[in-house]
Amino acid sequence: MITVYKKKNIPKGIELVKLNDIYFNKYTVELLDERAVFYISKIDASEYVSKYMIKSRFGGEVLNIDKLSTGCKTLLNIFYNPDIIFDIRECGENALDLIYALPEGNIYCDYPLISFDMTVVRVAEKKEYRIIDEYDELKEWWASEN
Amino acid sequence: MKIKPVIFDKIQTSHTSFVVDLTTDNNITFIMGDSGVGKSAVFSFLQEIAAEDKRIRCFNYLDNKKNYKTTIKKSKGKLFIIDNADVLLDDNMRHYISLDAENQYVIIGRNPTGLLLSYDELYELESTKEGNIVRFTLKKCNI
Repeated sequence: MITVYKKKNIPKGIELVKLNDIYFNKYTVELLDERAVFYISKIDASEYVSKYMIKSRFGGEVLNIDKLSTGCKTLLNIFYNPDIIFDIRECGENALDLIYALPEGNIYCDYPLISFDMTVVRVAEKKEYRIIDEYDELKEWWASEN
Repeated sequence: MKIKPVIFDKIQTSHTSFVVDLTTDNNITFIMGDSGVGKSAVFSFLQEIAAEDKRIRCFNYLDNKKNYKTTIKKSKGKLFIIDNADVLLDDNMRHYISLDAENQYVIIGRNPTGLLLSYDELYELESTKEGNIVRFTLKKCNI
């Protein structure tokens, strides 16, 4: 399951990435493998051709992989970098649904940003972690001051 | 502040096989929706018309550390097209933009909070294929 962080609860020493496009283009792109095919297809309706190339949903042109959507790049950042926290504020609903279904990964946002399909997440409290398996409870936790 | 567009009521351009045909009903046009539907692609096409028309300025995440806020506040008679708005626009800028009747805005993002927009000012991108041509237009957001 993914772990959700609020600003006050980010542990020292863990990197928080807010500009997902740049991080993907510089680092995550080097980590991609066949596991990326599914996510690129589901979110961007594009075909993963090779490490640096995709086939666009619009007309089938082969494009550099930097043309993936920010939402898709954010998911791939989370998936391939489980030791880093990524801001999800630019993700559309389709990307959010898949992010909340990831087997692991760390997400952050200033405000509640929750998939309606969420089942269970781990949230970071000040000194410990807690499991939440209901949308409303997660929303309440996220919106609270603590 | 809901007012008619002060600069353009239509924004049109083409880029190879892509046609952008946006009708702006209000001074702020907020474009949201799923990831991967072409929002940032449209932004990149609009950057090209900004190169030819001084009334248009474009900002995205690459401008995060630049003086885009001051530029906006000092401008009159401009159309600002802003991608990655969730990263670029803080609460103060959103408040400023919501009350700015001197400039027009097309804002691409997810969260319209603070812009004082009503539901009928929120749009999604729609793409239709006509032969080899892909045409991007706006449709009211389905909320």
